[in-house]
Amino acid sequence: MNWEEIKSRAEAKWSALEEAPLHIRIGTPTCGRAAGALETLRIFRERLQREGLDVPLTEVGCMGLCFAEPLVIISKPESGFPPICYKNVRFDEAQKLINDFILGDDPCLEIALGTVELGQDDAPVIPELERFEIERRLVLKNCGWIDPEDIDHYIARGGYSALRDVLLGKDPEQVIAEIGQAGLRGRGGAGFLTSRKWASCRRQKSEPKYLICNADEGDPGAFMDRVVLESDPHSVIEGMIIAGYAIGAAKGFIYTRMEYPLVIERLQKALEQARAYGLLGEDIFGSGFSFDIEVIRGAGAFICGESTAMTYSIEGKRGMPRVRPPRSVERGLWGQPTVVNNVKTLALVTRIMEMGPDEFREIGTRSSPGTAVFALAGKVKQIGLCEVPMGTTLRQVIFEVGGGVPEGKEFKAVQIGGPAGGCVGEEALDLPVDFDSFRAAGAIMGSGGMIVLDNSNCMVETARFFLDFLSREDCGKCSFGRLGIKQLLMILEDITAGRGKEGDIELLEGLCEDLLQGCLCNLGRTAPNPVLTTLRYFRSEYEAHIRERRCPALVCRDLIAYFILPEKCEKGCDHCVLTCPTEAIVTDERTRKKRILQDKCVKCGTCLEVCPPEYSAVIKVSPPEKVKELESREA
Amino acid sequence: MSKEEVEAVEEVLESCPRERRHLIRILQAIQEKLGYLPEDALREVALFFGISPAEVYGVATFYNQFRFVPLGKFHIVVCMGTACHSMGGALVLDAFQRELGIKVGEVTPDRKYSLERVGCIGCCTQAPVVVVNGRIFPKMTPYKVEEVLAKLKAEDELGGDKEQG
Amino acid sequence: MKREYVDVTIDGREIRAPRGEKILWVALENGIEIPHLCALKGQDPPWGGCRLCWVEVEGRGLVTACTEPVRQGMVVHTDTPSVRRLQRRALELLLADHPMDCKNCPKRDRCELLKWMRFLKVKVPKDLRPFPEKRYPVDTSHPVLNFDPNKCILCGRCVWIAKEVVGCGVFDFVWRGYDIRISTFMGKPLKDTDCNGCLKCAEVCPVGALWGK
Repeated sequence: MNWEEIKSRAEAKWSALEEAPLHIRIGTPTCGRAAGALETLRIFRERLQREGLDVPLTEVGCMGLCFAEPLVIISKPESGFPPICYKNVRFDEAQKLINDFILGDDPCLEIALGTVELGQDDAPVIPELERFEIERRLVLKNCGWIDPEDIDHYIARGGYSALRDVLLGKDPEQVIAEIGQAGLRGRGGAGFLTSRKWASCRRQKSEPKYLICNADEGDPGAFMDRVVLESDPHSVIEGMIIAGYAIGAAKGFIYTRMEYPLVIERLQKALEQARAYGLLGEDIFGSGFSFDIEVIRGAGAFICGESTAMTYSIEGKRGMPRVRPPRSVERGLWGQPTVVNNVKTLALVTRIMEMGPDEFREIGTRSSPGTAVFALAGKVKQIGLCEVPMGTTLRQVIFEVGGGVPEGKEFKAVQIGGPAGGCVGEEALDLPVDFDSFRAAGAIMGSGGMIVLDNSNCMVETARFFLDFLSREDCGKCSFGRLGIKQLLMILEDITAGRGKEGDIELLEGLCEDLLQGCLCNLGRTAPNPVLTTLRYFRSEYEAHIRERRCPALVCRDLIAYFILPEKCEKGCDHCVLTCPTEAIVTDERTRKKRILQDKCVKCGTCLEVCPPEYSAVIKVSPPEKVKELESREA
Repeated sequence: MSKEEVEAVEEVLESCPRERRHLIRILQAIQEKLGYLPEDALREVALFFGISPAEVYGVATFYNQFRFVPLGKFHIVVCMGTACHSMGGALVLDAFQRELGIKVGEVTPDRKYSLERVGCIGCCTQAPVVVVNGRIFPKMTPYKVEEVLAKLKAEDELGGDKEQG
Repeated sequence: MKREYVDVTIDGREIRAPRGEKILWVALENGIEIPHLCALKGQDPPWGGCRLCWVEVEGRGLVTACTEPVRQGMVVHTDTPSVRRLQRRALELLLADHPMDCKNCPKRDRCELLKWMRFLKVKVPKDLRPFPEKRYPVDTSHPVLNFDPNKCILCGRCVWIAKEVVGCGVFDFVWRGYDIRISTFMGKPLKDTDCNGCLKCAEVCPVGALWGK
């Protein structure tokens, strides 16, 4: 089959779906599956079969609206409505949709999130949601709209045409020049100019050269790359072929995490389909350029996201970073020139080739053109992915796109840039999101994880958590990394356990300064960030822990105690007594009120969770000695 | 190694090109078949690539995925990613440790349960999550830990009956 | 073979050095001391793990001397406050993690940790939290070579020698992070390994972790 045939067949297939009297899309990415999307899919399938309805059912990826999963989009043109997107569709909702909308004519708007239109750049948008006034979807253009396991969907939406134009009409230098003109900066975190990296690799005389797509998304709380690869793998594959052509590589690797089985499965399928169409392999589009891609499954090591560690890992070795320079573009895989690019960078390469560098440059800010993809998680209403033009403020991202913190909670901080990023407080909310502003605030852009914290999160404990993660994931090679990070962690553990000492804050600051300069790799050099930023924005919390043995957020377990307020405790209720895992709650024989035996309590919080909201009798106090005060008050 | 284990290792090695870079892939394939990496398997792999057994052991211990004792029948993985942590993942992990009487990285004496923590599995919307043999349990609490374990116990007994029947 | 030379200034001394040579070796060959624990000449790429051999290069800032090649006109200082600060901190961290059992140590007369403690006037730090005590068994099974992993400072010299020079591959790094250590295959006693007792690893070991009987 030649390209024209492939393309027209794909387009026919797509428009048949678009024009079908009924078409159901169900999002089944990993996040959807965790919310029960496969069950929803099964319900629709079985019921439609039972009703004898031959309705196309498409499994799509993730639209980023994870808070609303399982997500179902139903197109029924004769209803007069555009496609409608439904939220949290489980058993009851699925039956209702089939009964009332598919078999009947009630569009069930009460469970709808909104209608779906194709907006700017042909990306699906839901105009009813405020977030889409701010969002601009380039990387996420196809996510949640196409079947990621069907290359035809991608082709019908314009896919691989840019690659064809590149291979048949542009020389590699011209491609690099256009990426330079677009001002694209690497989305992996450091924000290095992509064109400069490519040009420097192209200049190297040594052959062969390699391209690596860094999909080793290990930041806890970040899932941008997973969503993109599960929902639209071809955008990344196309970008890789373009990049390979530009730098002069014939072989590419996608290094991803073993924790992402669906990513690996969908990538393998996508690669097979691309090979079958001649889009990968020998002599692509008859241009004489050959390129192929291999998926490498990591074995669980966060440090392998660092590019020199990643090359060692692909070589089958321990992923311990080496000193740079030489950089990977000079000496990478097997000592050969190698470019390492992030998933989103490569997807944006495809978009830039589609839309042209000038249009791309108009999005975002002067120094950081284009869009930024964030994974919003933690204490925010609309958990999920979003994509906004660079320069949007953090406040807009959290409160307008993410819908703000859930009712009854108060925004406290946002953690950006992954474990080695930073926690910034309220005063930093008007920062525009771009590489340079983040750095100025003491954080790093990282690859796009954003965790919102509220007043029930303790910032010292948060710093301890990240240092614990970094110390587990540190490679152990250099003295500052191995011992410095561990030392920071031990001090933080002491502080959160009430063993903090006067002088600890200064000791932390001194050590942090040394690690910033002294560590061998970027993981180590950024490891102090969580400590430094929490100290900068929340110093008083450290002081409360050290001087008063008090955790203001009531989180650190050694510094709190649970207490049952007798005036609120209900005689007839036994919830806490029955669920306490250590039988630490006793009932006073006379009053039938409950009391916690502090020496048996393991502070798991179950009693607080199960105490019926109409009583809310269980409280936390800090420091724990406060319990005595409260008890004596009773006496 | 048992005869079956020896055969499984041979099968993996036969299907793989003898290039040093495939070491991790081979270890993954062996672990997929056997559930862990027995000492003799590591020796075989070293021989296959012509490298020292210490080097193979060094690579295998570097990565979280590999283990050197068999897992429990139910492998419980508690996500300790940022989102899960901020939603109380540590309390869930504690509850499992308490209920099972083992620590992270250990297996119960009856080999039924093993417990592990993981960085982030990317299901932050369902935080805190626990994965048991690939099945995701969303929005966990210490209280729900008991329920999950009761469920697994029931499944175990059901499975046992089937085997007998 | 024609060698190219460059002129550099180290601590005010003008030195002619082979192009591409690392600052550390140029300095040492010219009698200028730079503390170091992991570097071995010939390693490519250099290991760079001990983080002790800091120097300040004008226009470039702080770099490790074992990884930074000399360039024409380079001006290097080996004794500035920021160099010393990092060196002392790195050494302090290593000391806080090292059993200071010098009396009974087989290497007490040529211990490189002690040497740099004296050079940098560093004592075992009191402000740092003590690291957890290590309790690995000491391996005295081999007729010639002894191994005490508790004293190891993870410089990696023995691993490199075993792999790249001797070719025995007896040792490698295992695990990672704070738990990283040097080990034989699955921690087997040395007598059950391919060790032929050449003692090259003990020669390069800077501390009392590997020594000959």
